[in-house]
Amino acid sequence: MEQHVSIREPLILGDKTYHQLTEDISRPVEGKANGLYKILLTISSLLALWGVMCFAYTIGTGIGVWGLNKTVGWAWDITNFVWWVGIGHAGTLISAILLLFRQRWRMSINRSAEAMTIFAVICAALFPVMHMGRVWVAYWVFPLPNQFGSLWVNFNSPLLWDVFAISTYFTVSLVFWYTGLIPDFATIRDRQVKPMMKKIYTILSFGWSGSAKQWSRFEEVSLVLAGLSAPLVLSVHTIVSMDFATSVIPGWHTTIFPPYFVSGAIFSGFAMVLTLLLIMRKVLHLEDYITITHVELMNKIIILTGSIVGVAYLTELFISWYSGVPYEQYAFLNRATGPYWWAYWSMMTCNVITPQLFWFKKIRKNFTATFIISIFVNIGMWFERFVIIVTSLHRDYLPSSWTMFHPSFVDIGIFLGTIGIFFTLFLIFARTFPVIAVSELKSILKSTGENQTSSVSKHDEH
Amino acid sequence: MSTKKVIYGIFDDDHALIESAKALKTKGIRVADVFSPFPIHGLDPVIGIKPTRLSNFAFWYGVFGTLSAVWMTWYMMISDWPMNIGGKPSFTWLENLPAFIPATFELTVFCAAHGMVISYLLVNKIYPGRKPHNPDPRSTDDKFVMQINTFDNKRVEEREIMDILKNTGSVEINEKVLS
Amino acid sequence: MQYTFSNKSRNICFALIGIGLLSLVGGFLTDSHRAWPNLLLNAFYFTSIALGVLFFLAVNYAAEAGWFAAIKKPMEAIAAFLPLGSLILGGVLILSAFHLNHIYHWADPEVVHHDEIIAGKAAYLNKWFFTIRTIVYLGGWFLFYRAFQKYSQIEQQSYNTKNWRKTQSLAAFFLAFFAVTSSTSAWDWIMSIDTHWFSTLFGWYTFAGYFVSSLIVLTLVVLHLKSRGLLPEVNENHIHDLGKYIFAFSIFWTYLWFSQFLLIWYSNIPEEVTYFMDRMTNYKSIFILNLFLNFFFPFLVLMKRGSKRRYHLLTFVGIITLIGHWFDNFIMIMPGAVKEHWHVGWVEIGMFTGFLGLFGFIVMSRLASFSTVENKQHVFYSESVHHHI
Repeated sequence: MEQHVSIREPLILGDKTYHQLTEDISRPVEGKANGLYKILLTISSLLALWGVMCFAYTIGTGIGVWGLNKTVGWAWDITNFVWWVGIGHAGTLISAILLLFRQRWRMSINRSAEAMTIFAVICAALFPVMHMGRVWVAYWVFPLPNQFGSLWVNFNSPLLWDVFAISTYFTVSLVFWYTGLIPDFATIRDRQVKPMMKKIYTILSFGWSGSAKQWSRFEEVSLVLAGLSAPLVLSVHTIVSMDFATSVIPGWHTTIFPPYFVSGAIFSGFAMVLTLLLIMRKVLHLEDYITITHVELMNKIIILTGSIVGVAYLTELFISWYSGVPYEQYAFLNRATGPYWWAYWSMMTCNVITPQLFWFKKIRKNFTATFIISIFVNIGMWFERFVIIVTSLHRDYLPSSWTMFHPSFVDIGIFLGTIGIFFTLFLIFARTFPVIAVSELKSILKSTGENQTSSVSKHDEH
Repeated sequence: MSTKKVIYGIFDDDHALIESAKALKTKGIRVADVFSPFPIHGLDPVIGIKPTRLSNFAFWYGVFGTLSAVWMTWYMMISDWPMNIGGKPSFTWLENLPAFIPATFELTVFCAAHGMVISYLLVNKIYPGRKPHNPDPRSTDDKFVMQINTFDNKRVEEREIMDILKNTGSVEINEKVLS
Repeated sequence: MQYTFSNKSRNICFALIGIGLLSLVGGFLTDSHRAWPNLLLNAFYFTSIALGVLFFLAVNYAAEAGWFAAIKKPMEAIAAFLPLGSLILGGVLILSAFHLNHIYHWADPEVVHHDEIIAGKAAYLNKWFFTIRTIVYLGGWFLFYRAFQKYSQIEQQSYNTKNWRKTQSLAAFFLAFFAVTSSTSAWDWIMSIDTHWFSTLFGWYTFAGYFVSSLIVLTLVVLHLKSRGLLPEVNENHIHDLGKYIFAFSIFWTYLWFSQFLLIWYSNIPEEVTYFMDRMTNYKSIFILNLFLNFFFPFLVLMKRGSKRRYHLLTFVGIITLIGHWFDNFIMIMPGAVKEHWHVGWVEIGMFTGFLGLFGFIVMSRLASFSTVENKQHVFYSESVHHHI
C-alpha cells in the first residue's frame, strides 16, 4: 500500500466521493457557457481571424511584407516560433517527467497542460511554414522522392533536425494526450442522455469499457510513453537551440545552449500553464482540484528553472569575457549596452529577478502574485528569444550592414493572431473535453483527498 | 438451448473488490472480468491476468526506427547524392555521424511511440465507432463491476457465488442472460 | 541496527592505502609530471563523489521526497568523505596554482608573459584569486555539510517536523550555492588546465559526470549494507529507483557530452576544436572507451526493468560505469596537463587504489559510528518503508 504522510498537503479539497469527481469534471462539458466565456471566445476568435488575414496577406504578397531586411533575416518569426515551442514544453514535462518521478499533483493539471502543449506547437509550426513563403510546397521539407532526380533533404542541417523533432514531438504528444483522454471520454459518454452527445462521446471514447485487461495495458502504455517522451521533450528544444548554436555567429554559438534552452522552455511553459490554470480554475469552478498546493509546487519549479536560466545567462556573459574572443565579447557588450539594451534588461528583470520572489512563501502561496509573475515570465521569455536572435544579427561582421529591425504591422498581426488561435483552441477544449484527468484523480482520491488524509494521519504519527 | 448466465457483482470500493476476488479465488471460482473507473493495483494476479508485453514491442519498433534512420541518412547523404555542404563533405557515413544523431533519435522515438500506441489500440480492440461493452454505465463513474460467468464455473452453485459476493461487500448483484 | 566495521575490511582499506602511498612516493620520485595530475585527478574524483551525494541528499529534502528516508544514513556516510577529500584536493589545487608543477599553464609567469590569450584571463586566473575561490567553494560546501550533520543529529532523536522544515530550507540554500559553485569550480579546477579553451557547458557536463558516480557509489553502499543483513526495510523497489536514477543520469551525461561535442565539431572554430582534436588523436582509445563505458554499457544493460532489480547485475554495471567516469575525468585532465605523454600504469592504478582505500575507510568508519543505520524518526520514514512501485 502506498502511504501518504500527514504533513503532506491534501491534493483534492472538500468532502469528495468518486461520483462527485465525475460530476465536477463533467459540469463544464454539460452545462451552458456563461457570459464571461462567450466574451473571451469572441475576443480570441476575432484576434485569430486577424492573424489569418495577415497570414493570407503574407502568402499573397510574399514575406517582404515583414520587417526583415538583409542583415536581420530572422526576427519575430523565429522569436515567436521558439517562444511557442518553449511554451509547448510544460505539458509533456508534467505528464511524462513528473509521472516518472511519481508526482501525484500532476494529475490535476496534466490534461490541460498537454492540451496547451498541442495548441502551442500548432502555433509554433505556423511560423517556419509561413517563412517558407511558398507554403503549398511545405511538404518538401520531408525526405520524399521527387521528380528532380536525386535531390534529398540535407541531414546535416539543424533545420531538418527541427522538422523531425517538431513533427515527432507534436504527434507523440497528441497520441499521449489522447490515450489518456479515452477513459475520461468514456466517463462522460456513460452519463449522457441526449442521443447526439452520447454518439459523439462514444466515437471519441473509442468504445472504451474499462476492463481489467484494458487498464493493465493502459498503464503499461502510459509508462512507456512517458519514458519515451521524457528524452523527447529534452531533445526538441535542444534541437531548436542547435538552429543557432551550430552556427558561427557570436552570441549564438555556445555549448550551453541545449540544456539552457530546455530549461528556459520549461520555465516559460510552466508560466503559461499557471496563467491559464489560474483563470480556468475560477471560470470552471475547479478550486478544489487546482489548489494553492499545486500552485506552490509549480512555483517551485519556476524558481528552479528560472534560476538555471539565470545561471546560464551569467555563464554566457562570463565565458564571453573569459574566451578572449573579441567578437564574443562585443556581442555581449552590445546586448547589454547597445541599441537593444531595453530588450536585454527587460529579459533580465522578468526572467532572473521576478521568479526569485518565489523564495518568499507568502508570494509563492498567493494566487494574485503568482498570476502577475507568470505574466512577467511569459513576457521575459519572449524577450529572451528576441534578444538572442536580433541582437546577434543586427551587428554583422561588416559594420556597413549594421542596422535595426522594425516589425511591420503584419509581423505584429501574425503574432497576435497566434495568441488568438491559441486561446480559441484552449477555450473550445475547456468546454468539450474533460479538463482534468478524472480517472487518474480517482485513483489517488483515497490517499490524497482532504477528507481521507485527515483520518489516515492519526495512525501515521507513532 | 442452454442459457448463458452471467453474474455481476457491483462494489463501491476497489479494495472490497480485491478482497472479494481473493475470496472467490480460494473457492476456485473464476472471475471473467472486472470493469472499473480506474486501474486497480494488485488485481491482475488475483483474476489471472498476465503482465502485458507491450513494452517489448516498443523496443523493437524503436530498433526499426533507428535502422530506418541509419539507412535513410546513408542512402540519401552518402550513396545517392553526396554533397559538400557547409564544409562537411559526406565521404563516409561514420565521418558525418554526429550530424545524423538528432534525426536518428527522433525517428527512433517516433517509431517506438506510434508503433506501441497502434499495437495498444489493436490488442485492446478500441477504435472510433466501436460499441462499448461495459455492462453497467456506472462502471466508468464510481462503481466497480465484477463479472462472473456461470458457465465458466459449472462446479459451483450460483447461490454460492452470490453469497460470497454479498458477504464480501458487494452492494448490488445483478444477473443477466446472454443470448 | 548498527554497522560493524570488520577487521578484515579495515585491513583491506589499510592495504589499499599502503599501495597508494607507495605509488605516490614512487610516482613523485620517478616522474613528478605524471604524479601531480594523477593526484589532482583522484582527489577530484573522490571528493566530487562525496559532493554529489550531498547534492542528492539536498535535492531529496528540497523536493519533499519520501522514498529516500530509509537510505539517508548511507548518504550521510558517503558525504563524510567531503572534509578530508576537500583538504587533499584544496592542497593540490593551491600548490598547483603556486606553480609547484605544470598542470596550470596560467600559473607560469613565463607563459603568461608570452601568451596574449592567457594574459587576457589573468584578472581571473591568478594564484591569489584562484586560492580564494577554491577556499570559498570547499569551505562553503563544508559548512553546509556540517549544518546537515547537525540537523541530522536532531532528526535522529525524535519525530520532528520542525527540524525537517529547517533541513528543507537548508537544502534549498545549499542548492542555490551549489548552482553557482558547481559550474565555477569546474571551470577553475578542470577547464583552466586547457587554458585557451572555453565551453559554457563545461560546468554542467562535469557535474553530470560526478553525479552519476555518486548515485552508483550510493547504490553500492546500500547493497553492501543489505548484504550484511542491515536495512531490512529497503526493498527491491528502492534499489530499482536507484537503478533508474543511474540509468537516467547516464543518459543525461551522454546528452551533455554530445551537446558539447556536436556543437564544437559542427562549428569547427579553431580556438574550440583543438580540445577535441587532442582527445580524438592522442587519446583515441580513451575517447572511445569513455563513451562505451558511460553510455552504451549502462544504457543497454539497465534498459530492461528486471536488470535494475537484480543486485549482482546492478553492482557489476555500477563498478564498470564508475571506472568509466574515472576515465572521463582522466580525459578531461590529462591532455592539458601532460599532452600526449599519458599512461595508465602503476602510478595511475596505485594512486586510484590508495584513494579508494581512504574513501572506503572513511565511509565505513562513519557508518560504524551511527548507533543505527536506519532512520526511523524521519518524517517520511513510513512512506519510505511502504515504498512500492
